Amino acid sequence: MFASLLLCPVTIAPLVAAPAIEKSVVRIVNHAQRPSWYTPWGTGAMQWTTGSGFVIEGGLIMTNAHVVSDSRFLALFLYGDPNPHEGRVVVEGHDCDLALIRPVEPKLLDAVPALPIGGLPPLRSMVETYGYPSGGDQISSTQGVVSRIDRQLYAHSAADGHLAVQTDAAINPGNSGGPVVQEGKIVGVAFQNNKAMESVGFFIPTEVIRHFLADAKDGTYDGYPDLAVRTATLENPAARRLAGMQEGESGVRVDWIAPDSSADGWLRTGDILLRIEGQPIANDGSVASGELRLPFGLLVDRRQIGETLPVRILREGIRKDLGIPLKGYPENLRYSNQYDRRPRYYVYAGLVFVPLDREMVKTFGDDWMSDANSELVYELLFRPQGEPGLLKKERVVLLRRLDSPVNANISFFKNILVDKVNGRTIDSLEDLVRAIEENRGPCHVFEFGYFGRVAVLDHAAADKANAQILKDYGVARDRNL
Amino acid sequence: MRTLTCLALSALATTALAGTTPRVSYESQVVVLVVTTQDYDEWRPWEKKTPDSRTVQAVVLDGSLIATTADLVENATVIFVEKHGRPLREPARIVHVDADANLALLTVDKPGFFADLKPAALAPSMPTEGQVSTVRWRSGQLEISASRISRIEVGTSYLGALEHASLIVETDLSGGGWSEPLFADGRLIGLTYAQDEKSATVTPVDILRAFLESVRAPGGYRDFANLDLSWEINRDPALTRYLGLEGEPRGILVTQVPWGSSACGALLPRDILLGLDGHAIDAAGNYEHRRYGQLKFTQIVVDGHHAGDVIPGEVLRDGKKVPVKLTLQPARSAHDLMPVRSGGAAPPYVIEGGLVFRELDGEFLRTWGKDWEKKAPPFLMTRYDLFRTTQTPARRRVILLAYVLPSAYNLGYGNLETLPVARINGRDVDSIADVDEAFQHPEGDFHRIVFEPNPVRAELVLEAATLEKATRDILDEYQIPERRRLRETPLPDLGDACPDRPVSPGAP
Repeated sequence: MFASLLLCPVTIAPLVAAPAIEKSVVRIVNHAQRPSWYTPWGTGAMQWTTGSGFVIEGGLIMTNAHVVSDSRFLALFLYGDPNPHEGRVVVEGHDCDLALIRPVEPKLLDAVPALPIGGLPPLRSMVETYGYPSGGDQISSTQGVVSRIDRQLYAHSAADGHLAVQTDAAINPGNSGGPVVQEGKIVGVAFQNNKAMESVGFFIPTEVIRHFLADAKDGTYDGYPDLAVRTATLENPAARRLAGMQEGESGVRVDWIAPDSSADGWLRTGDILLRIEGQPIANDGSVASGELRLPFGLLVDRRQIGETLPVRILREGIRKDLGIPLKGYPENLRYSNQYDRRPRYYVYAGLVFVPLDREMVKTFGDDWMSDANSELVYELLFRPQGEPGLLKKERVVLLRRLDSPVNANISFFKNILVDKVNGRTIDSLEDLVRAIEENRGPCHVFEFGYFGRVAVLDHAAADKANAQILKDYGVARDRNL
Repeated sequence: MRTLTCLALSALATTALAGTTPRVSYESQVVVLVVTTQDYDEWRPWEKKTPDSRTVQAVVLDGSLIATTADLVENATVIFVEKHGRPLREPARIVHVDADANLALLTVDKPGFFADLKPAALAPSMPTEGQVSTVRWRSGQLEISASRISRIEVGTSYLGALEHASLIVETDLSGGGWSEPLFADGRLIGLTYAQDEKSATVTPVDILRAFLESVRAPGGYRDFANLDLSWEINRDPALTRYLGLEGEPRGILVTQVPWGSSACGALLPRDILLGLDGHAIDAAGNYEHRRYGQLKFTQIVVDGHHAGDVIPGEVLRDGKKVPVKLTLQPARSAHDLMPVRSGGAAPPYVIEGGLVFRELDGEFLRTWGKDWEKKAPPFLMTRYDLFRTTQTPARRRVILLAYVLPSAYNLGYGNLETLPVARINGRDVDSIADVDEAFQHPEGDFHRIVFEPNPVRAELVLEAATLEKATRDILDEYQIPERRRLRETPLPDLGDACPDRPVSPGAP
């Protein structure tokens, strides 16, 4: 105990919490309704969760996107005020786990001080968190040290990585969305912890907050630009020599490019990225950022969609300076958790078809990578590595069967990929609907991916049974496209 | 308490049976094998793992032979035989192993060893009902347990092995499945190869007899035949009508025909296989066996046939009945792109510049332990699940960069592992021999290893001039005795590619 006290830095004077900060912290109760991707026509279960938020300029409350996602009703509790006040989500960034709320009562926040937004806290400096952990009604604050600053996976989308700050201040469920403060200024938003590490919490730093606010200024959130490339490190001198790099030159090799992405048409596989934003990229893919070395992709993060990214490349022995116009890459949404939208599906003759995406494979549970059918995992995660063009298409899965005499003899009826329907290649859920609805033949023929599997429905019998099946199983709408 | 109950039950069973069967004959028909095995270390294929010892059962057969299941003597360094429950051990020698049929024959060279043993008489066929005796030696005592015949089922002792009818018995024996012989009316009816709780699976006397006859055949051993076909049941009237079959659904729908299989060249995807060797096949894939009743049709090619036989069949193809002839081929393990088992063969490997290359197969994937199918990297497991049987003339094995022995030479690559290799120095690599050869031909000053598409890295580049010395230094540093082990026996010639084989989308 004593030893650990000794190790605490003494350069920063102990912080005295200004009462103004507590006044600006809001408890948020989210009454949410989340649909089921396994029963996609259903309305979804109601649930309520609590989180924290804080008042910023403009009469807004900032919190995490995961605190307010799938919301049906938001109740806001101000400091010292036992009455709930209704709030509405103004904008959400699921990729950066941030959201803005505006109270329905226009003057509600007039007397609440808006917290100023500061900068990146130095490593080893002290920060304070404020919030309502574990659903408690009383505000709680904890202190901790900034122990690491690095890129982290943001668990809310499970597919985006941005800069995050690690601290040993306790960050528990309910703390989410609460402010992390240093010298009276916001230095971050508490957002996640890591169950594999003890006494470690993470907060979203102000460069991500500012990026979100700038993006959301026009009332809509567009998200981060994405180069959508995969690069390989070049620590081995042989690899650098083969690439034609000079002594002392460093960089990374472009190994893979997503079609129609920012990089597509500007970069080629085999190109060496030497510099980004004028800064040299090291052979391990890092760039210098103050006292830190960070992955070069974080410099792309600092830009907005529509801006131009300066890079220097080495291609076939020639060094070139490029200005790459930056775009988002919505095709990658298939890898993200989905919020605030209804699942897409189509039910015909009791066969339930859905797109292949992260929510679909999550019907197998958290361990879907090992538990889901191999063909689904392979098609979602690995096949596009060799065939990037697949990212421009949508794979469709026969998710399950609503049993009925008309479909009872089909041998394959769940969790399999649909390649063709009635001879037409299926590249989207809409393709599948058309292939069924425009079929004039006596039967519907479904050809599945892998192992040559096939299933057939009698067209007339299926059409006839369709309405009754929807009725029997309480499927109000046969589709959400 | 549980153990006591079991013991009491088995004692009762033993007593009950003792009156009907002569104990003395089992004592001279059943022997114990003490098998010391030593598996190869699949991650360090240049060495073997720590030896292991197991005690299993075997049965004495005519001609001074002892039969057991093949999986129990796989990778054996030494096998001893104990007879009459006495601890005196004699070394045994393997006469013949058929890993796909999961049977092995052994003998003891010591003169007179078999003098006080009595060969078991083979029953003419499997009994289909009633009570039989499972026999084993335990702590010097003969244990005879009652087993009741549950059913006959066509299956494999492991994925990729010979598919044949097995006997399923409910047994009073606990902890069995280690080649315990079963007897009915004093005659041998089979050897167990698996037991789950009280349910034991038995290689039947029919397979054992065919195995023995083949071993003794003057022309040399003839492999069992296997159908190795992907198919689906055909019970859906809508599907059969679509395929042009009149009347009630019958036959099975052929979905995939692997290269080198009995069906290759004879059957096509979307054929309905209506009959084989004179037997009609029903919509569930069963035929009527003359003794055993309804069995899965894959048994047809095992019953009285061997690899090399040609048998007639009938298919419905494009709405017309077409006669076909199938030239029967052995079981699939060698036909797989990623074989399930190696049958104890030493894993081929090569080390170049600290890069350890090996084949991707079931032996390697099972190193992820008990739940290997869940724990092995999904990148490898999904390939194994989807493309295991898709060997083609152009692609016979998947070569992996298994991992890297880190050194200054291979700086930056130390954390790479389990990446499938597509080409080395511009050459396709389809075997460890190909890898070895490709490294003889650098591309200018470099060795370039290009991987199959993966989420990690496209290519790895090494300095050619210093490879030789670096490899020697790394082998020395990591105390590895041999730089390479090439395949001991070449892969079998599987003939021409199958016509009109469907291409799986995304097949690498």
